[in-house]
Amino acid sequence: MGLLGLGLAGLQPSLLLGGLAIGLGVLTTLKLLEARSLEEHRLVGLLQLVGCGVVAALRPDLGPSLLLATATLVALSGLLALELGEGLAWPVLLRRSAQVLAAALPVTLVLFLLLPRLGPITPMPGDRGASAATGLSDRLDPGSIAALATRHDPAARVAFSGGQPPPPGERYWRVLVHDRFDGRAWSSGTPLPRHPDDPRQPPRSSASPTENGQLWLVEPSGLAAVPWNGWGRPLSRELLPDPGGELLHRGPPGQRRAYALGEGDGTARWQRQPPLPGDLLLPEGANPRLEALGARWAQLGSDGARLQAAGTWFRSQPFRYSLEPGLLPSRAPLDTFLFERRLGFCGHYASAFTALMRSAGVPARVVSGYRGGSWVRPLGGVPYLDLRQSDAHAWSQVWLQGRGWVEVDPTAWVAEAQTGQGTRGERGALVWLQQQWWGLDIAWTRLWLGFDREGQESLVRRLLGAHLNWLGALLVAAVATSLALGLGLLGWLARGQGSDPWRRERDSLLRALARHGLTPEPGDTLAQVAARGGQRWPALAQELEHVVALYQRHWFAPRPADARRPSLERRQLGELRRSRRQLQRQLGRLAGRLKPGCLSRLIGVRRVD
Amino acid sequence: MDFARPHQGERLRLGLRNLYIVPTRFGWWWLAGSAMLQLVAIQMQSNGPLLLSFLMLGLFLLTLHLTHFNLQGLELRCGSPPPGFAGERLTYPLLARSRSHCEGLRLRLEQGELGPARVLPPGEHALALTWTPLRRGLQRPGRLRLQTTAPLGLFVCWSRWDLPEAQLVYPARRPGPVALVSQPSETASTVAASPSSQEGQEAWHDLRPHRPEDGSARLAWKLLAQGRGRHSKRFQAPPPRAALLAADPSVPQEQALEHLSEEICRLHARGEAYGLVLDGQVIPVGSGTAQRDRSLAALALAS
Repeated sequence: MGLLGLGLAGLQPSLLLGGLAIGLGVLTTLKLLEARSLEEHRLVGLLQLVGCGVVAALRPDLGPSLLLATATLVALSGLLALELGEGLAWPVLLRRSAQVLAAALPVTLVLFLLLPRLGPITPMPGDRGASAATGLSDRLDPGSIAALATRHDPAARVAFSGGQPPPPGERYWRVLVHDRFDGRAWSSGTPLPRHPDDPRQPPRSSASPTENGQLWLVEPSGLAAVPWNGWGRPLSRELLPDPGGELLHRGPPGQRRAYALGEGDGTARWQRQPPLPGDLLLPEGANPRLEALGARWAQLGSDGARLQAAGTWFRSQPFRYSLEPGLLPSRAPLDTFLFERRLGFCGHYASAFTALMRSAGVPARVVSGYRGGSWVRPLGGVPYLDLRQSDAHAWSQVWLQGRGWVEVDPTAWVAEAQTGQGTRGERGALVWLQQQWWGLDIAWTRLWLGFDREGQESLVRRLLGAHLNWLGALLVAAVATSLALGLGLLGWLARGQGSDPWRRERDSLLRALARHGLTPEPGDTLAQVAARGGQRWPALAQELEHVVALYQRHWFAPRPADARRPSLERRQLGELRRSRRQLQRQLGRLAGRLKPGCLSRLIGVRRVD
Repeated sequence: MDFARPHQGERLRLGLRNLYIVPTRFGWWWLAGSAMLQLVAIQMQSNGPLLLSFLMLGLFLLTLHLTHFNLQGLELRCGSPPPGFAGERLTYPLLARSRSHCEGLRLRLEQGELGPARVLPPGEHALALTWTPLRRGLQRPGRLRLQTTAPLGLFVCWSRWDLPEAQLVYPARRPGPVALVSQPSETASTVAASPSSQEGQEAWHDLRPHRPEDGSARLAWKLLAQGRGRHSKRFQAPPPRAALLAADPSVPQEQALEHLSEEICRLHARGEAYGLVLDGQVIPVGSGTAQRDRSLAALALAS
């Protein structure tokens, strides 16, 4: 129950499935407290299993998966204990549970790998615009921030199939597009109309997400939009590229999300989506000096020239980068920033530049997301780019005729070295351990996520090729075979159970002697067989006598009746096992030195194979 | 679920022909839980609940066989049931031979309670059933039900066997009057089956110094009058004569047999000799365990 409780930690009860999981956890606990009969205790075990399954749907990462697998094993052990009586020790029960699980694994895997999967029954309700937990927000108002707190909380991790990250200059991970400006702050507008050719569903691909793409693990966020590079090809059905350039995830919000992107062709549909009239809107008179500057640039011949003029102007002014720029006035805040203080962080520069471009007649929008990240190479698992909340960044995109939407980072013009990218401020063993764990986590997620509905269909197509009609027959045959395999495995595992380990050692010794031609006569004791062996192989007489003495000591020597007895017996059994193996090796060496048939002639016994 | 035809015969070897298996109520719940996880997995497109759902389904299919294998091949035969008294808990021995591990075996006699789960490793095992017969004679405990739900309680596999070996049941022990026939020629006289005192009250035996608790009735007045002090007379019952016990004709027969059963046990415990006259059959006077068993057996089988 404790393990299931740990798995429940962090789930949101307001979500349907989160509430169901927490409800199941509470119900299981209450049932456990009041359970008296066998039936009631069984029900507790079943509730725990179902609870594990529901939590697994919400927490697919490595840590919770390990916890839930352990909870499943414990629940099965509990059910076994109910059936086998309460006298069995926990290690025995756990071993038996593991055996039953191992036996059920083949048929489970067959069903998991081969049984066709269905799509979602109803779309999961999304929740765009809930309170932001990642440091990104729908509303970008840099003028209202006097000092930007630097948070190093994890934001996302991304692994690349090539094993190498893109060059530092290309590490822009967009999340939100802000296209509405009220003179002070930017916000996200209404979703753009979808292009008729834009598919509702991402293209089905036979490629596994692990091929030529990226695997993202994003920490819980209230936003429906998730980070991406802007042109990767979504491989999960939950992903939906927005015409504005956002990548929307239709999974339950507030949970950690994992998704895969295939390698795109370098451009995306949103980049060619023509601007709307709203991309030029600027509240008149809100920032008069900015508007006047933009009007001057508007007289330049092309959008490219206007962009170039803006770049030149920004580089020529004494702008400085600061995370503590102070509040901007409510009247003409961007004028104050551009022409008086010239001090700010990325939000200030992106906001002011985008407004300038609009005033110059160039459609422009603000984009917020992450920039940079630390490349981590864990000892185990997969190398990944670690994005923190302190990597949050804002930049702009402008529409240039013939080129589409082009991304521009005005912050980079003014203070390349001052942006503070890469300063983590935290090092040490704990961080190192965390990075190692995340490496394993991302490897697990890559494997786990890689086998989704498309992956399963792809596997079946690879297995059957043109004979997909045979899937049903193959499935039935595979289930029957795997069931037989599981039962056989269980029988094989149970072979040694119940028999005495001392007798097993004795039988091993007798088998070894028989292989070398010494078989017991009817009525022989072990000591008599050993004595005959000693006569035939005088070099081994002492060892044979020693092994027999160890065996007889177990049965006939007085033993302590206190708690030391089990450990003493284990030691003695270990000693017998070692001596027996050593004797067998010596016997083998002795036989190896003699030519075939020589040993038999030497001992005068016909070799029986 | 007792639609299974019970096996008849001296020994029972469990196999496909006499084993029955159906899902338990918990098994149906298990399937419902698996179906629920399937729904969650489909809706969430998540591998975790899908795998667990298939695992539960796989375990369901696997335990169908494992539960059956628990009993398959098990051989049972009756031991020699020791005699006992009606109304008391008797032990009925069974000998079991299993070739493989038999888990969660539970035994239940008709009208009885389900016994505890046992694990039988491969080999020979002595099992004991307990039951309480209500009538004397050669009685069978009834129909035996063997069942197991191991390993996970998803299926119940069972078989039924009409136990062939009868157990000798003596009449219940019940204190009461029995008839005594001292000599075959004498008429029977009824005595109370209360324990007689060794001290007795009939034959003067000895004198001892008088104690106040002896009372005046036992005071030797003659000696007192002679001035020889106060003495109490000691009496002794006449030496017990080896008697033949018989049923008291004044009580119903079954009750009379129960009284005889009690009297025989009492006399045996005291090491006294006794005989029995019953249904014209005479068991000569004797003592010891064999005499007791012979006499009680005669009571058990009396017509």
